[in-house]
Amino acid sequence: MPLHDQPAIFDMADAKPVISLDRVTVRFGDQVAVNDLTFSVAGEEVVALLGQTGAGKSTVLNLILGQIKATAGAVIVDGCDPYADYYALRGKVAVSFQTDRLLPWRTARENVELGLEILGRPKNSRSRVAAEWLNRLKLTEAHHDKYPHQLSGGMRQRVSLARALVVDPDLILLDESFSQLDHVTSKALRTDFLSLVKGLRKTCVLVTHRIDDALEMADRIIILAVPGEIKLELTLSGAARNDPAWISAATKQISAVMTAHSGEGAPESADAV
Amino acid sequence: MTGADVGPDASGSSPGRKLSQFLPRETVAGIIAIAALALAWHLASIYGPSYAFPTWGRIARALINIPLQDVGISIARLAVSMLLSFVIGMIFSTLVFERPFVEALLLPLVRLLMAVPAVCWVIFAILWFKGVEFRIFFVMSIVCTPVFIIDSLDAMKGVPLDLRQMVRSFRPDAVRYYTKLIFPSILPYVLTSWKINLTLAVRVVTIAELVGAVSGIGHGLVIAQEMFSIAEVFAWTVVLVLILLALQGLVNVIERRTLHWRTA
Repeated sequence: MPLHDQPAIFDMADAKPVISLDRVTVRFGDQVAVNDLTFSVAGEEVVALLGQTGAGKSTVLNLILGQIKATAGAVIVDGCDPYADYYALRGKVAVSFQTDRLLPWRTARENVELGLEILGRPKNSRSRVAAEWLNRLKLTEAHHDKYPHQLSGGMRQRVSLARALVVDPDLILLDESFSQLDHVTSKALRTDFLSLVKGLRKTCVLVTHRIDDALEMADRIIILAVPGEIKLELTLSGAARNDPAWISAATKQISAVMTAHSGEGAPESADAV
Repeated sequence: MTGADVGPDASGSSPGRKLSQFLPRETVAGIIAIAALALAWHLASIYGPSYAFPTWGRIARALINIPLQDVGISIARLAVSMLLSFVIGMIFSTLVFERPFVEALLLPLVRLLMAVPAVCWVIFAILWFKGVEFRIFFVMSIVCTPVFIIDSLDAMKGVPLDLRQMVRSFRPDAVRYYTKLIFPSILPYVLTSWKINLTLAVRVVTIAELVGAVSGIGHGLVIAQEMFSIAEVFAWTVVLVLILLALQGLVNVIERRTLHWRTA
């Protein structure tokens, strides 16, 4: 079965988009980082933005976060403009980054409490909630009061994910969150995280350059290429995800598209898949 | 005590070996150096002119007779003006950090202020102001505040961008942004700035009192000099050194308590 004929596990037509980018362009001086980009993400959907360095993935993430303003077009997150209505999305969006970005003077538990403190949650419940999330991310209690430099890379990334999830956001953004970990740790963390996200019915946008991350986690994969244009879009079903032949074909196709567009090659339409 | 007492070859029963069990080797070395200086002074007081090298006994008697009120006044001036300089410095550096235009406007002035020698400020203060206390606070603030501004601003600029982006992703208000990220991040640099400024402030407060006050340690030094009492001059100097060491010790304690995570 051709990849684009796979049944969608998520029907966008029935769901109100949580994220909507409409003909968005971002320019930094003369450089076009994102060009006329249009896509949306529905509630409870896990979407991967896949692409090589410079494809505009992080720019799109920063647009969704409201850290930069689109040069043209409209970005809507949960009904708000994330740049103009900066505080409207407080507590609704959380991010986990490529590096753990833990505050070195705070213990694992205190790092997880950070978002709760910023959101002004009651002091007496913060520590308990933080500990619960660390446990859910499988960080044992023996490590809760350790400082970041006393934890392994995988443990620190678990703390970073707990810090994002603890504020109970509607939307979680992952910026290459698993790419700096070794294969085994990355796989275990992806599995644990995905199970939590699906269980809690959160919307998630995963930015990655690793095809295996995207294929394993996403309901839908959007492949971006320079200058921030969609070159391919795939919807994954549960059945497809468990079919090694399909995964292999998808990997080859995605890889071919990414390679073709990494060196200013000819654009390739999704129909070719 | 000799160097051999505390050396690695000392026998287990020697007093030096026992001392090194309680004190770090560096501390023992420091004590030996100070003891050597004290001994050299003692020899100088025996063989040198008495107007230049008073005996330890004379210095000790002068120390006992030092008016504690003057010591207290100097410490109070030091503490209040340092705290004031710190608060003004932090407000300025935060403002400058938030508004690059303010930096372009104010930073050249701050650097200009830093280039003016402290003694010039003392003379300006005497010519400009009548009140003794105000003169001292003015001199102390104008000398110490720029150091706090420059150090804390540099530290704020050094807060990693990725941490700033992480904290901003929670959309904090300005107060939480500063209290959760910026101020804890710059704390080590601020404490270093306090140590540097303390050394500077002890000198400046002494100079300011020396020429513009009728109380405090600086004034005590002037009286001692007018009376040609070298023992009193040394006694005041010892007090100044002890005050500086005590205040630096206090900053070290705060540093150990607040930055204990570094050694965890």
